[in-house]
Amino acid sequence: MVDFIPAPPTAKNTETIHARQIAFAAAFLLPAAKFLEAPSLLARYAKGDLLFPAVLHFLVQALVLLGVLYAASQSEKSLLERLQNALGKGIYVVYVLYAAYFLFAAVLPLLDMEKFVYAAFFDTAPTAFSFAAFFFFAAFACVKGVKSIGRSADLCLFLFLLPFCVLMIMSLTNADFSNLMPFFGTPLEGSMQAFSRTAPHFSDAVLLLPLIANLRYKKNDGVKITIGYASGAVFTLFFLAVFFSIYGSIAPREHYAFSKVAQYFPALAVVGRIDLVFIYLLSVVLLFYTCLPLQYTADLLAKSFSTKRKTFISAILSLALLFAVLFLNRFYDGFYATITGKLPFVFWLIADMLPLFLLFLPKNQNSNTPIKKEKRYA
Amino acid sequence: MHTPFVIYKISIALRREKVKYRILFHAKTQPICVNTLSKSIKTNLGELKKRLPSEDILTYEFETQDKTACAIVYADGIVNKQLLGDLIARPLSKLSLKSAENVEDEIKKTALFPELKIAEDFQKAMEEILDGNSLFLVDGVATGFIAGAKLLPNRAVIEPPTDVTVKGPREGFIEDIKTNMSLIRKRLKTPDLRFETVRVGKRSDTAVSVCWLHGIADEEVKKQITDKLNALQIDNVPDSSYIAALLSPRKHSIFRVIGTTEKPDIFTAKLAEGRVGILVDGSPIALTAPFLLAEDLQSSEDYFVSPFVATSIRFLRCIALFVAILLPAFYVSAQLFKMQLFPLGLMLTIASSVRDIPLSPSLEMFVVLLLLEILKEASIRMPKYVGMSLSVVGALVLGETAVSAGFLSTPAIIIVAFSGICLYTVPNFVETGSLLRWLFLLVAGSVGPFGIVLLGAFVLYYMLSSDCFGAPMLAPFSPLVPHDLRDSIVKYDMLSLKQRPRLFRSKNKTRLRVPNEEKTQGEN
Repeated sequence: MVDFIPAPPTAKNTETIHARQIAFAAAFLLPAAKFLEAPSLLARYAKGDLLFPAVLHFLVQALVLLGVLYAASQSEKSLLERLQNALGKGIYVVYVLYAAYFLFAAVLPLLDMEKFVYAAFFDTAPTAFSFAAFFFFAAFACVKGVKSIGRSADLCLFLFLLPFCVLMIMSLTNADFSNLMPFFGTPLEGSMQAFSRTAPHFSDAVLLLPLIANLRYKKNDGVKITIGYASGAVFTLFFLAVFFSIYGSIAPREHYAFSKVAQYFPALAVVGRIDLVFIYLLSVVLLFYTCLPLQYTADLLAKSFSTKRKTFISAILSLALLFAVLFLNRFYDGFYATITGKLPFVFWLIADMLPLFLLFLPKNQNSNTPIKKEKRYA
Repeated sequence: MHTPFVIYKISIALRREKVKYRILFHAKTQPICVNTLSKSIKTNLGELKKRLPSEDILTYEFETQDKTACAIVYADGIVNKQLLGDLIARPLSKLSLKSAENVEDEIKKTALFPELKIAEDFQKAMEEILDGNSLFLVDGVATGFIAGAKLLPNRAVIEPPTDVTVKGPREGFIEDIKTNMSLIRKRLKTPDLRFETVRVGKRSDTAVSVCWLHGIADEEVKKQITDKLNALQIDNVPDSSYIAALLSPRKHSIFRVIGTTEKPDIFTAKLAEGRVGILVDGSPIALTAPFLLAEDLQSSEDYFVSPFVATSIRFLRCIALFVAILLPAFYVSAQLFKMQLFPLGLMLTIASSVRDIPLSPSLEMFVVLLLLEILKEASIRMPKYVGMSLSVVGALVLGETAVSAGFLSTPAIIIVAFSGICLYTVPNFVETGSLLRWLFLLVAGSVGPFGIVLLGAFVLYYMLSSDCFGAPMLAPFSPLVPHDLRDSIVKYDMLSLKQRPRLFRSKNKTRLRVPNEEKTQGEN
């Protein structure tokens, strides 16, 4: 049985995180992002076989994750410390590269989120200011460190499970799973295209990488995180199956899937759209997720500039992204097509392949300073 | 011969009970210490009169049988004069001190006072007099005797009006710190219960007592608190809320970071969980730290009823809290941005109610909420005799008439009234909840439901990143401490709460042992 009792973090480090929190992030934080545009994109290319490219993605990401976890398990020290020892000042190149990557990777979820907000939260025509408010929250979250990300993952256990279960129960009444038949009915080319086009949505391992990099690996940590990721994959696959079962051939046109799956629940005609309450609850998880790459970017930029004052960086970053989103919003389709159609290699290269180089880090570099046990909760 | 040049700089540290003197001198001669009591009673009384010129400081002079002059100096109104007369003045007036070998011992023997201390300097003597004790001086003795004959006006130990329970103890703290300490000692008869008193307030010299259970509370937290108290530089401490504000690591937080209670049973239960308590003289509100937000959802009654009932009540409070804070905001945002949130029937009812209202939904809600807040504030401050009139004016004139005049809609008044009632299910969260309700209303009126979700996420993120005395505010939910979830929103039965909350890092983890448990189970 997995031990969920939070053991005290072992390092005297304010940026403490527990394996349980990474597992929760994998299980409850990452799947929420795949409930927006990814289902309709998968359905467009893979049709009834939309589960096949999704499973393929999860297998690839699981391999990357296992590789990173194996690298982390090789020493008592965290991956970040080992990387700093191995690369010396060269670590700044890694910081800048990944800061740029996360900044790039943040744009797509932001655009998805913006469109989702306009669709799910407004009957009226919203103003640009409506979504701009998000960047206040993003700037605030970016100031906080890895510890807060870990704690938000803990909170996602409640914020994700309750609305997900309720929405799925409501959705199942209209699900016709025969829509998924026959298995492998779509040509392989279609499934592979779906796989390629949804690469940005499924690049999960890299989102866990900064958390694992701060973790001081202990026995069974890898098991916990892998179980967490597997749970997240199950949630996503189940959601995709339900989504296609409800909408069938019109699924490609049903954007921001999770705001719609439960709307045909019979009781809603009497009590109103109470499913919206659960959708809004799940949106909190989505907001946490959307902030995640921004938080990493701010953190990495702060490290690159060797400063602990992230307020300025966070403010500039949020402001820059606000303008980027306002600008890219006008070229949404073109930008989306470029990212998903022509730039998946960026994700494969930086998110999936580069982290595997951690396997070549020197195995055990014992530091002179002993690791002090600190009685504080992460 | 050069004249000795003496510089005195006497810095008096009032914080600890011991008075410290820092005397700096350049000369080779001994400094003239003006602070110590002299053998002459006249000099002593003169010096005391000079230092304590207030009218309420009285001196009662009398003589012993052998005509040795004696005097009792005390602050009028806060001393038990009868006790002083019976136990000091009367026996000493019959005493002959000149024949005594050791005058001090003779006086101690004669004055059968249970609390008799010695003061050798004016500073100490003054402090004791101002604290309500009496200084007893004898001519020819360079020592003052402090008799603990304090008689401060106190109210009775009654049920606190802010923390009423249907079942369970009804005693409440009062303003006197000694009484409060005795109420705690009455419940925790263990040598592990420790009090450490710190004097805070340059002018008020208020006693602030830190109490904890040795071996159970985290010593680090206790040290943090006492260090902070010792470092405080403040003129006056009228209430424990001053101490709470000054101890708080987050000065601008809208959330409480230190727990408060008026009931000794709750206070002792928190000490037994591993928290550190703070009592402030002059305040019936005791403080506890570390504080978790989940504590606000708990009530002492939860522990006296079945765990199922307690859990359902806690869930009810939780739902009521969300309704109180979010209902007005959702109502406004649904009207303005997302009508789908209402069922069709309700939407039609609301539409017909608000049709002729001249105000926008957000402005209307703002006005009604403002009315509620004003009525609430007025009802607290208003004399009881006028309270009935206020209810009539508030409920009938403002509510009924405003609706019939077409100024406000009925649903808005119902929603605000319901929200107001719901907020009082968690009395300790009223101020914060009220503020949050305003904030949510503001964002709901401008950004709609997305604003509510965004502000919700913001508040959650703020809370989850807030720590106070080493305890995260949202624990045991974030960070998740599964063991401590047993007494959070859910309440397990007593036998499942054998161990103290893990969050407080007690060395002694077990609080309940049932030795015959296995045997009993076997028999059953």
